[in-house]
Amino acid sequence: MATGPQDLLARQNADGGWCYRQGGSWTEPTCYALLALAASGFTESPAAVKGAAWLQRCQRTDGGLAPTASVPESTWITALPLLLPSPLAKALNPERLIAWVLEQSGRESGWIFRLRLLLLGDSAADTPAYDGWPWYPGAAAWITPTAMSILAMEKIAANKEVALAQDAQKRVNEARRFLLARHCRDGGWNHGSTRALGYDSDSYPETTGTALLALHGYKSKEVDRGLVRAEDQLAACQSYEAAQWLRLGLLAHGRKPRAPFIKNHGSTMEIALGMLADAAESGRNLLVAS
Amino acid sequence: MNAANNSHSSRRKWIAGASAVALAGCARRPVEWAPVSVHRVAEYSESLYDLFRRIIQEHKLDVAGKNVVLKPNLVEFDQNTVINTHPKVVHAAMEAFRAAGAAAVRIAEGPGHRRVTLDLADAAGYFSTVPQFESLFTDLNLDEVTKVELKNPQSKLKSLYLPNTVLRCDLLVSLPKLKTHHWAGATLSMKNFFGVVPGGIYGWPKNVLHWAGIDECIADLHALFPRTFAIVDGIVGMEGNGPIQGTPKSAGVIVAGASLPAVDATCCRIMGLDPTRIGYLQLAAGNQLDPRSIPQVGEPPEAVAGHFSVLPQLEHLRLNGSPAK
Repeated sequence: MATGPQDLLARQNADGGWCYRQGGSWTEPTCYALLALAASGFTESPAAVKGAAWLQRCQRTDGGLAPTASVPESTWITALPLLLPSPLAKALNPERLIAWVLEQSGRESGWIFRLRLLLLGDSAADTPAYDGWPWYPGAAAWITPTAMSILAMEKIAANKEVALAQDAQKRVNEARRFLLARHCRDGGWNHGSTRALGYDSDSYPETTGTALLALHGYKSKEVDRGLVRAEDQLAACQSYEAAQWLRLGLLAHGRKPRAPFIKNHGSTMEIALGMLADAAESGRNLLVAS
Repeated sequence: MNAANNSHSSRRKWIAGASAVALAGCARRPVEWAPVSVHRVAEYSESLYDLFRRIIQEHKLDVAGKNVVLKPNLVEFDQNTVINTHPKVVHAAMEAFRAAGAAAVRIAEGPGHRRVTLDLADAAGYFSTVPQFESLFTDLNLDEVTKVELKNPQSKLKSLYLPNTVLRCDLLVSLPKLKTHHWAGATLSMKNFFGVVPGGIYGWPKNVLHWAGIDECIADLHALFPRTFAIVDGIVGMEGNGPIQGTPKSAGVIVAGASLPAVDATCCRIMGLDPTRIGYLQLAAGNQLDPRSIPQVGEPPEAVAGHFSVLPQLEHLRLNGSPAK
C-alpha cells in the first residue's frame, strides 16, 4: 500500500504537478503533495520547487488559482497554497492569493439574496446567515472550502510574513460560526446541508474531520459532539482518505485516534493525507497554525 | 443551499404550470421518440446479462467499434437501502455492450456529495461485481475537462466545464436508479447527468447547478449529449424522501430507450407520477409526452405501474388514477 514520500515523489508529473489518481496535474493534489513532502523534510527539494513552479503557472491575473491548468477561472483552491511553508508559498505572491480569497463570499449570505428571501416570505430569511466560502465564485458557502480558508487565513496570520487585512480575522470568526451552525443533528458535518425539506441529513466522515480541523482550539458543545461523532465514524470508516481527515480533525483537538487499517487506492490525496495525519500524530500538524 | 432550493421548489411548480400553458400554444414540430422498452425483472439475477443483450438488439443499437461510457448513479455508502444503481446492472450492461462489439466500455461517475468515489463504488459492490473495476472506471469529478458553450440554454448557465471522457465517447449510457427526488420529483436518466458535471471544478455539491435552476440544468445537460441511451434500474427503486433518505420500493422493471425524455416519462408513469408535471421533462419535451406518442415495447407501462409514495409537498405530481397504495 502506497503511504510514504517515495510513493509521492514517484507520482509527480513531468510538468511538476501531481494528478489526483492518474492523468494531468491538478492544484489540489499538488498542494497536498507539497505539504506532505514538507512534513517529511522535503520542503526545498527539487521536486517541491518544481511543484511550486507548476502552481505558479495556475495563478490567474485576478490573483487566484485555477483548479487545473486548462481552466482559466480561479476557485476555492486558491486558499490551499497559503498553507504551504513560506519558501514555497512565496513564489505565488501570497498577498494576491489572500486578496482573492477574502473577496469570495457565500452567495446565500449576500444582501441581495437575503432581501429576496424576505420579500418572498421565506422562513430561511429569519435564520442567521454566517458568511463562509464557496467552492466556486458566485455559489453558496460549504463546509470544505470554508474550513480550508479558515486554516489558510490562520496560518498566514501566524507566520506574520504577510500582513492580513483588518477584516480577515472577522471573516475567520464568522466562518467558524458558519461551521458551528452547519453541524448535523448526529453531531458531525456533511457537505453543509443539515436539513432538507424538514428531514435531517447525515454527516460524512471526511467533512466531519475537515470541520473539526478548522475548529481546532475552539471549545463548544458542537465541537464536543463532533469529536464523539468523529470517533464513531473512524471506527466504522470505509475510506482511507476519509479516515485521514478524521485523524487530522481528532488530533487537532488533542485526541489520540487509532489509525484504522483501510486499503488505499494509491492516489495522491490518499498518500499525502496519510503522511500529514502521521506527522500530526507525531506532533507536527502542518495544516494548522503553530 | 436549503434556502436556494426552497425557492427553486416553489418556482418549479410555477415553471411546470407556465411551461405547459406556453408550450401548448407553441406549434412545436412533433418529436419522434425512439421506442421505450419495459421489461419485468423480479431480482438482480444472472438473467440480466441475457436481457441486456436483447435490449441492445431490440433497440437496434449499433455500437460496433464505438467507445461507450456507462454512467451509473453512485450517491452514498449506505448499504441498507437502494441509493445506488445495482452493480449487477452495471456489469450486465458492460458485458452486453462488449458482446455487441463496442471497442471500449468504461464506467464513469462523479458523485455530487461524496468525494471518495472509489471507496463509494467499493462499498456499493462494484469492485466485487465488475472484474478490473478500478481500471475501467473514470471519476468524472476529477477527469480532464473542456469548456463547452451552451446553445440556447434554459438555465442561467452560459457554459460548463465537462469531463473529456463523456464529451469524447460515441455513446453515453445513463444507468440510473428509479427514485423519487425531493427537489425534482423523480430522478431518472436525465437527472443522472448531474453526475457528469465535475466536482473538481464546481465542488461538492455542484451548487452552480442549483443556482442556475435544477430543472433547467437537467434540460440543458440533456441537450448537450445527443448520443445517449438509458437503462433504468427499476428492479428495486426508491420511494418517499428520495434520492437518499427514501425507502426501497420493488417495482420489478428495467426500462430502456434512446430518447431519454420518453424513457423518463414512462418511468414516471410506472411510479404513479405525472410526467407533464415534472419540470425538467416539461422543459425538455414540452407537451409531447403523451403516452400515445411514445412507442412502447415489451410490457405496457400500466401493467407494471405502482404507487411510489412522495413527500407531501410533491403530492401535486401524482398521476390521476395512480393505483392506490
